[in-house]
Amino acid sequence: MRHNFIDRYANLDSPLHVLEARTKILGYLSLIAALLLMPGRNDVVLLVYAFVAAILVGASQVPLGYIVGRSLVILPFVLLAGIAAPWTNSFDGARFMALATRSFLSVTILLLMTSTTPFPELLRGLQKLGCPRILILNLGFLYRYLFVLTEEVLRMRQARDCRRAGRAPPRVELKLLGSMLGSLVLRSFERAERMYQAMLSRGYAGEFPVLAPRRFTWRDLTFLAGIALLIVSSFRYAGR
Amino acid sequence: MHIPDGFLSGRIWLSLDALSSVTVLYAARRLRVQASGHTVPLMGVLSAFVFAAQLLNFPVLGGTSGHLVGSALLAVLLGPLAAFLTMVTVLIAQALFLQDGGLAALGANIFNIAAVPVLSGYGIFRLAGGTQSHGRRLAIASFLSGWVSIELCALCCALELSLSGAIPLRVGLPAMTGYHAILGVAEGILTSSVLVFLSHTRPDLIRRGAGSRLPVADWVAVVALVAVPCAILVLAGSSNLPDPLQRLLASADPVYGRQGESEPFLSPLRYREFLRALTLIAGAIGSAYFLGRLMRGKRSKL
Repeated sequence: MRHNFIDRYANLDSPLHVLEARTKILGYLSLIAALLLMPGRNDVVLLVYAFVAAILVGASQVPLGYIVGRSLVILPFVLLAGIAAPWTNSFDGARFMALATRSFLSVTILLLMTSTTPFPELLRGLQKLGCPRILILNLGFLYRYLFVLTEEVLRMRQARDCRRAGRAPPRVELKLLGSMLGSLVLRSFERAERMYQAMLSRGYAGEFPVLAPRRFTWRDLTFLAGIALLIVSSFRYAGR
Repeated sequence: MHIPDGFLSGRIWLSLDALSSVTVLYAARRLRVQASGHTVPLMGVLSAFVFAAQLLNFPVLGGTSGHLVGSALLAVLLGPLAAFLTMVTVLIAQALFLQDGGLAALGANIFNIAAVPVLSGYGIFRLAGGTQSHGRRLAIASFLSGWVSIELCALCCALELSLSGAIPLRVGLPAMTGYHAILGVAEGILTSSVLVFLSHTRPDLIRRGAGSRLPVADWVAVVALVAVPCAILVLAGSSNLPDPLQRLLASADPVYGRQGESEPFLSPLRYREFLRALTLIAGAIGSAYFLGRLMRGKRSKL
């Protein structure tokens, strides 16, 4: 069964992987925000951002095929906007291209953030940035039990596919799916009960400890300064 | 449908981000007061359940496929506050892991897929009298709550996209609500069959979730947090005034504002120059990639 699709490349070794989680969250988030809030249609500025994104993707050592393949998830929306374009009052090819480019670049930056940071570190960074604790706990549980439940779903699907030939009519199909989901809910509830007992018996008091966290160093400062410089200069250029 | 970055205007995504973060902080604070320690692992496992259940696809129309959204189901099982936070967790995880929905558009997605469907699903379920019922009544109430929640979700999505000027309402509204009316039937059937299944096997689970009802204070807060900003957003979005944020950014220089007059750098109309420029740009970006590729970190000892 296919696993480990979440932060598959998060344990590589590159200049971006050694940064602290908070640095990457703040840096990439402000990069995306600047990209989306850039006034007007500045093709030159968009090109500069594409250039920076290409350098960062290269520096991250994450395979190019992975980044490009995953960033294609925006395609349905681009297609929908493209189909709807003739109905707008003034069809504008350049505007549409700028929209698609912005969207593609933001997905690439988001991918860079998640594929260079192991998920527990990302959670710790989010918590230090003031995310509510219950969300952090929830995300931690999700990360831990996602694989368990996914495997359970895949097993159930395999069992269903073994026991039937072809597809049933939609009503029957949905009813079948409903009972499968129902028993999945039951198993999840029972698992949660067991987990809670196990957590209590191991002395859970509302926190999960993290081993050997990264520290904020001069590298992080350089990275943030570089991004701030880029954003300020691009806004000055765009406003001109 | 998760909205990616780049399709919403700055006004829309910034205000929805602010709105959603206030809602999440409020719900987290209220839940800390109400919840016992038992709720934490339950919410965590159920968010993993929703994430995993979305792997079970069913065919819809013309080759596309749909899956359970689960907001209404969670609202009945966990009560609205915990269900909202669970859906928020799922949305954050989907944005981070699967790139379903953008980071800046996360607030909009939380509003569309977590806040609106959970609250409407819960409200419809209560109104249709699903809480203490069995059999047929339960099935009908949960079907309705599933269908309405999906339809409202599509409606919000179409509204936001048209207010941003990405997809006009004339196209977006029929396309989104029409397609989701079909998806909503599937969602309703799934919600009702899961709940009927559970009412046969573990009736205590449904009782427990539906018992954790919203107090009056929370309903007032919901109205204040959701309805009022919504109205402001719709009014602001339909006005002809320039975007306040963009005006602020542009106020540094008076020349910006006549953006339409300047010749775009890349124009498909001048065909040969366009092709030449495109080749140059592709070459530059490619060499930037390889330049970056040369920067390696020092090998760690691990």
